[in-house]
Amino acid sequence: MADTNGSAPRPPNQLLPTTVVGSYSVPEWLERLKTDYYQHRLSGAHLEDIHDVAIKAAIKDQEQAGIDIVSDGELRRDNDVDYVLAKMPGVEITNTAKAFYYDYLDCAITAPLAGPDTAVLGLAGDFQFTREHTDRPIKFSFTGPFSLSSRLRNEAYPDSAELVRGIARMLNAEAHELAKSGATLLQIDEPFLAGYPEQVALAVEAINLVTKDVDVTWGLHVCYGNRYARPSWEGHYNFLFPAVLDARVDQLILEFARKGDEDLALLGQFGWDRAVGLGVVDVKSEEIEPAELIASRITRALDVVPVEQLVINPDCGLRHLRPDVARAKLRAMVDGAASVRANLNAAPAGDLTVFPAAQPELDQGEAQNAPTG
Amino acid sequence: MLIEIRPVARLRGEKAIDITPAVSEMIGALCEDSVDLAKVRLVCDWVQYKHNFRDVVDVRQISPGTSADQLEVAVDLRRAKDVDLRAAAREVLGYADRPDLLPRMPLEHWTAGSQSCIWDFNALYWKALGEWERATGQMYESALPGGESDARNQAAVRDLISDMFRIWDDLSERRSLPEELYVVELGVGNGNQAKAWLDEFVVMDRERGTDYYRRLHYLMCDYSQHVLDIARKNVTDHATKTSSVILDATKPTEALGFLRFKVFLVYISNVYDNLPCDDVAQIGGRHYLVETRAYLNQPDAEAIAKSISVEPAEVPNQISRLLRLGPELLAEASPDNFADTDAAVEFWRQCWQAVRLAERYVPIQGLDLYEVAPGVTGEMLRPQLEAGGDIRIHVTNGAVASFTDTIPLLHPFGRLVCHDLFTTDVMQNRTGFRGPGKYDGSVVNWCNGPLLAHIGSRKGFDVRFAPFAHRKGTNIITMTAQVRD
Repeated sequence: MADTNGSAPRPPNQLLPTTVVGSYSVPEWLERLKTDYYQHRLSGAHLEDIHDVAIKAAIKDQEQAGIDIVSDGELRRDNDVDYVLAKMPGVEITNTAKAFYYDYLDCAITAPLAGPDTAVLGLAGDFQFTREHTDRPIKFSFTGPFSLSSRLRNEAYPDSAELVRGIARMLNAEAHELAKSGATLLQIDEPFLAGYPEQVALAVEAINLVTKDVDVTWGLHVCYGNRYARPSWEGHYNFLFPAVLDARVDQLILEFARKGDEDLALLGQFGWDRAVGLGVVDVKSEEIEPAELIASRITRALDVVPVEQLVINPDCGLRHLRPDVARAKLRAMVDGAASVRANLNAAPAGDLTVFPAAQPELDQGEAQNAPTG
Repeated sequence: MLIEIRPVARLRGEKAIDITPAVSEMIGALCEDSVDLAKVRLVCDWVQYKHNFRDVVDVRQISPGTSADQLEVAVDLRRAKDVDLRAAAREVLGYADRPDLLPRMPLEHWTAGSQSCIWDFNALYWKALGEWERATGQMYESALPGGESDARNQAAVRDLISDMFRIWDDLSERRSLPEELYVVELGVGNGNQAKAWLDEFVVMDRERGTDYYRRLHYLMCDYSQHVLDIARKNVTDHATKTSSVILDATKPTEALGFLRFKVFLVYISNVYDNLPCDDVAQIGGRHYLVETRAYLNQPDAEAIAKSISVEPAEVPNQISRLLRLGPELLAEASPDNFADTDAAVEFWRQCWQAVRLAERYVPIQGLDLYEVAPGVTGEMLRPQLEAGGDIRIHVTNGAVASFTDTIPLLHPFGRLVCHDLFTTDVMQNRTGFRGPGKYDGSVVNWCNGPLLAHIGSRKGFDVRFAPFAHRKGTNIITMTAQVRD
């Protein structure tokens, strides 16, 4: 059971809930151990133990920072792509050794993917571990079909769109399993989409295959890349619109801290009426933005997005930041959101689409400390 | 005893050297001494720099003051035939347990190589380059290999611009090309490179009709105002497109932070080899930092003291003042010792000529605790140090600091191109001397290419090395770094 540090569980319908995008700081020592595994100097069993410990610490860090909706920090993953592709039946990887754990593997597919009868990627197990170690709402993220297909050498499908759809169906099975395990907030990450703006319609079609009939709150995260704390592309979010309006998701999670909030206007311009995950922390800089700056970013967004639709998060995952920097950034974000909240004269929020649709069934002991409402 | 002979390429061929006499003399001297031969490493180098920091024979303590005490005896084979080697070896071995008693005038306390005062000499050279050049009657470029910087090679410039135009065309087609197109040059020399580059850019841009020149900003960045002033005069034809920025090459984002992820080309020529550098080593399975201490041999110190009318013991203080004030102010502050600035520059040159570096190996308690550069720990050195067997490598801290602080400036499709002296394989440290040496009034070290490549890789960059393609017989390597994936 997670230590709530004596504070009362937060109301789930709190305005401006804070969350993370997914990944959490990977310290240098953990990078070294992960790399040791990929160079066959550390066993998989030891690495799993290490991951368990690291994830518990990551959850604790988020809780202590005051984050409302936490994640497992994606600390089991080598990177955003291979963790899924390497487990996908039919994906061929000739060399599984890596010079550095975070490098991409060379993945290929030579025959069409088999039908997704059951979930095979094991994501539900990852979620369950997190569920066992926190009583806060959990966001669980995974990379979307378009981005996954971008790192897969396609020797199976004459039309690469079919590969994207095949992966989407596989992820849909995974999402069903996650929902069955109690997940209530799932997020699809499409870090490659900004590099292929002309493919946005296909990406949205695939996203709808992933979310189909999975009754959870769905988020879609699109950024300009965060490989090694660098953007992979530059540009504007206008490529997303109007196609993204057709995506069956409840939240759109975008980066605004590093790029500035010029693109916020697109949300109003195209009538995005669902929740917005507002990136207010630059994850590509070690500079800790003061809470006042974060508050001002949130306040500016309120000119465009109704307060009950706003979720507060960093621009992207925190994996490339040092642990002390990640902690400080999260604390500043929580403080910034709190100060805006305190200044709001808004009435208590009604139905918030920003919050997980349902809480998992907890055993009796856990239920005493679980969020209510 | 372990004998390591590094210049193996010189042992064969038409101009093969015979190392037998030198090695024999050294072993003879060792056998005459009471030193524990089982704990001795005899290291034979070929120090190719005519002006360097080494005496022909030296001793280096390993883990001084501990029970694991070992001794390294170093000999420069190139100069071995010029001295009575056995006598020279006898002399230093006589002080093996007490190197502080050698007849040397220390200029500093033991310290990491990058913190040595030789880097203050180096910094002074760039700050007071005008005075130095007046005294020598030579421009600094004449000290470079081939007598000029490779940065101004026209064919190289054309290749570079062509590659960049291809990228810009592609981004332009996808409407992703920013309005402002930034190019940064770190270390501008006399501005010839900037001029050659900009002239060629204009010609090629006009040929293609792309009008990129209108959007171009070329930033000339250097540590020295004197150098920037000269460079600026060279690019007057491009005055509206060029800006001069004084910066420390090891911290470019301090001045250029506003260009984060915006620069398409960072161009660096003959800068990295001139930045502060530590050495680290693995000996017998342990990691060591090579500590150094600058000194003058007693006869040199006495001659210098006489030339400025002070006692020999006063020379270190005078050097310290020189490094702090520069020659012009030193002459003003000490008119009794220096008649004018020229006299102070002469003192500077004498000291520089005479300065040597003593070395010792001090254990590193954990690689993660050793800082290569801000944000880069010694863990990055592990693959090289543990490549197998005993090895000593340059850390090239200044180059690493510069590199890691420069790549954040690069646009996702940007590129860093650097012409310099690089090792490209860790084993090159076992087969040759990689510095430090003296180039005119500055320091030169080969840069640790594999280390930069490793760090670059951990930051998402492909770092490649190729011999400089546009001049034959040069040691210069072109390093190119660009985003992977």
